[in-house]
Amino acid sequence: MSKSSSIKKLKKQENFIGYLFASPWITGLILLGIFPILMSLFISFTNYNMISDPKFIGFENYRILFTNDNLFWQSLGNTVYHVIIAVPLGIVVGLSLAFLLNNKIKGMGIYRTLFYLPNVVSVVAMSLLWLWLYQPNFGLINQLLKPLYDLLKMEPITWYLDPKLSKLTLILMGLWTAGGSMVIYLAQMQDIPVSLYEAAEMDGAGWFKKATLITLPLMTPSIFFNFIMGLIGSFQVFTMAYIMTSGGPSRSTYYYAYYLFDKMMADKAMGMASAMAWILLFIVLIITILALRLNKYVFYLGDET
Amino acid sequence: MKKIMIIMLALITMLTISACTNDPTDRITIDFWHMAPIGSEAFTPTKQLINAFNESQDTYFVKGTGFSFWDYWDKIAVAISSRTAPDIGLSTLDDVPARASSGVLYNISELIAADPDGIEIDQLYQNQLDFATYQNNLYALPFTATTRVLYYNLDMFQAAGLTEADVPHTWSELKTVAKKLDVVSNGVIQQLGFDPSYGNATYHGWLWQAGLDFFDAELNPTLNTQKHIDILYWIKDFNSEFTRNQLVAFGDANTMLGINPFASERVAMMVETDGLYEIIKNANADFNFGVSYIPIPDEDGIRVNWGSGFSIEMYDNGKNETDQKQGAWEFLKYLMSYNIQLSLAEANGWIMAHKGAMTKFAEDDPILQRMLEEVAYAKDKVYVPYAPSWHGNDWQSYYTAALSGAKTVEMALQDARNNYLQKRDNYNATR
Repeated sequence: MSKSSSIKKLKKQENFIGYLFASPWITGLILLGIFPILMSLFISFTNYNMISDPKFIGFENYRILFTNDNLFWQSLGNTVYHVIIAVPLGIVVGLSLAFLLNNKIKGMGIYRTLFYLPNVVSVVAMSLLWLWLYQPNFGLINQLLKPLYDLLKMEPITWYLDPKLSKLTLILMGLWTAGGSMVIYLAQMQDIPVSLYEAAEMDGAGWFKKATLITLPLMTPSIFFNFIMGLIGSFQVFTMAYIMTSGGPSRSTYYYAYYLFDKMMADKAMGMASAMAWILLFIVLIITILALRLNKYVFYLGDET
Repeated sequence: MKKIMIIMLALITMLTISACTNDPTDRITIDFWHMAPIGSEAFTPTKQLINAFNESQDTYFVKGTGFSFWDYWDKIAVAISSRTAPDIGLSTLDDVPARASSGVLYNISELIAADPDGIEIDQLYQNQLDFATYQNNLYALPFTATTRVLYYNLDMFQAAGLTEADVPHTWSELKTVAKKLDVVSNGVIQQLGFDPSYGNATYHGWLWQAGLDFFDAELNPTLNTQKHIDILYWIKDFNSEFTRNQLVAFGDANTMLGINPFASERVAMMVETDGLYEIIKNANADFNFGVSYIPIPDEDGIRVNWGSGFSIEMYDNGKNETDQKQGAWEFLKYLMSYNIQLSLAEANGWIMAHKGAMTKFAEDDPILQRMLEEVAYAKDKVYVPYAPSWHGNDWQSYYTAALSGAKTVEMALQDARNNYLQKRDNYNATR
């Protein structure tokens, strides 16, 4: 046996052992990841009520959703509204918190922990808690605002019970978890070389100039990251509306993911629900690709180009 | 350490062996899914009933699996879909025809024909049997029953100078009595006489009493007649002397507190299911109350209430399992027998489908007796394939919009109807 063939054999053996060790992960990826994804693509072209066998109907589910389903557009509109307001607002609040907590004062660790703490609370528990806080009749928020209501002689705000305010109510509630992005901002903020600030100070720059001309530009990678993650997450908004408002009042918080869930669980229309999932994937994909174009405005520290 | 390990290992081996001996391999195993999981109150009595069956014979061995009520529906749906359903299990009565038409259920009529004494059919309510029927054959049996009644608080009646003789039986009486029971302090409702949208009162329930429904016989949506509009106005305007905010705040406070407004003595009269009676009993409530049939329209009113129930079904997984089928049938007969239905009522507090067993169960309980009377007047909601949740998600947003004034009653009904029509067209397009 020549030397090269025995090396080949050894390589094959090594490869085999490598694949053998990786096989649990590969099996999991194929069975629990790729297979359900491909299966849902197939189901999206069928009429499937989860009892009878799926019946292939081509693009009919997609046609119906786009051309003859009012709730599809209403739920998509609600979701886009949520994304447009919640994502920028989340960034502004997260950044503001990071600025506030990037100071060297006593007990800063405690403050940072306190602001991060809501992120370890489950969304369900958080929703129930805020349901109490927002309760128009005896909720804490309206109790605090009572003097203002009396002063302005206005009716108490009914928050999640008002179709015009319900989406904003949920968005405001979502800001409670802005501490999650704050941690990322804070980490990057502390990574900015002090020498840059020192040089700016020598040039006579104040806090505002340092913040806008040094801190913010150098924060763009984390802002960009949170923006993309926020976009993807916001398009899937569901739990808060499910727990707090059941999609109401008047379907004002009936988001896309909620409608998808109802298509599957209430209407038993698994084919239609799968089609909705794929449409959502494409919407998020296109918006993310467009958002990635903003990458050219992101300044990476140490990047010479 | 070594000794401890050996003892542990021996113990595990012994337990494994003893567990194996409880599951005889020489018998045909029948899978039964129920809603009494380990840890629930009903688990032990359910297990005892299964054990009693297993001890009574040497051919079949029933293996019971309990899921919580909330988990059960997803599990059974997935199991039916993947053709791994249990041999026998519970489901909902109103959509039996949907499963029967898909060929996943065994024909119970055929089994009864071959074994006529197996089931006391005359002991089951005809209105329930109708829902378990598909193409003139039974594909399930009613297992439990539910009903809706008017609960009234006698202490509140007394405080308002009313007696049990004043319990309303018509819509106009209901309004007159309800107004006497309202208590308002500083603009805040402290006690409400009645509200037709509270508790388990539904728009379709009120429609039924007037001989109307959401759909016609061909399952086309109606909702567009003047009578439909009038009844929704009647619900909306029942407490029109209060602002919608007052009513919503009162109702929402009840929901937030997580307690039933009747059980917490905030509402004097309310339409609720038989389940509320169990809640009041378990809470050892000390107020006096009674139940009556739900008041009906003054003219041509129909005594009817929305009642449903669990079905018991035998699943055909398409594997030609004749032994399993026969075993499931034997167990089904056992579950539907007088004694077992009585035991299940005692264990779960449910109203069971067997009339004789329930008469015995309620013999010392006048409130339960009245509720059993109403089971005979119960009617289940029709199953609409293109809108299975027509009374729930599909309707609720329009209902709340009409009640809150966000939409006029006419507009809400028109929009709801258009939504059903669109769903019907889309369903037909994908068939």
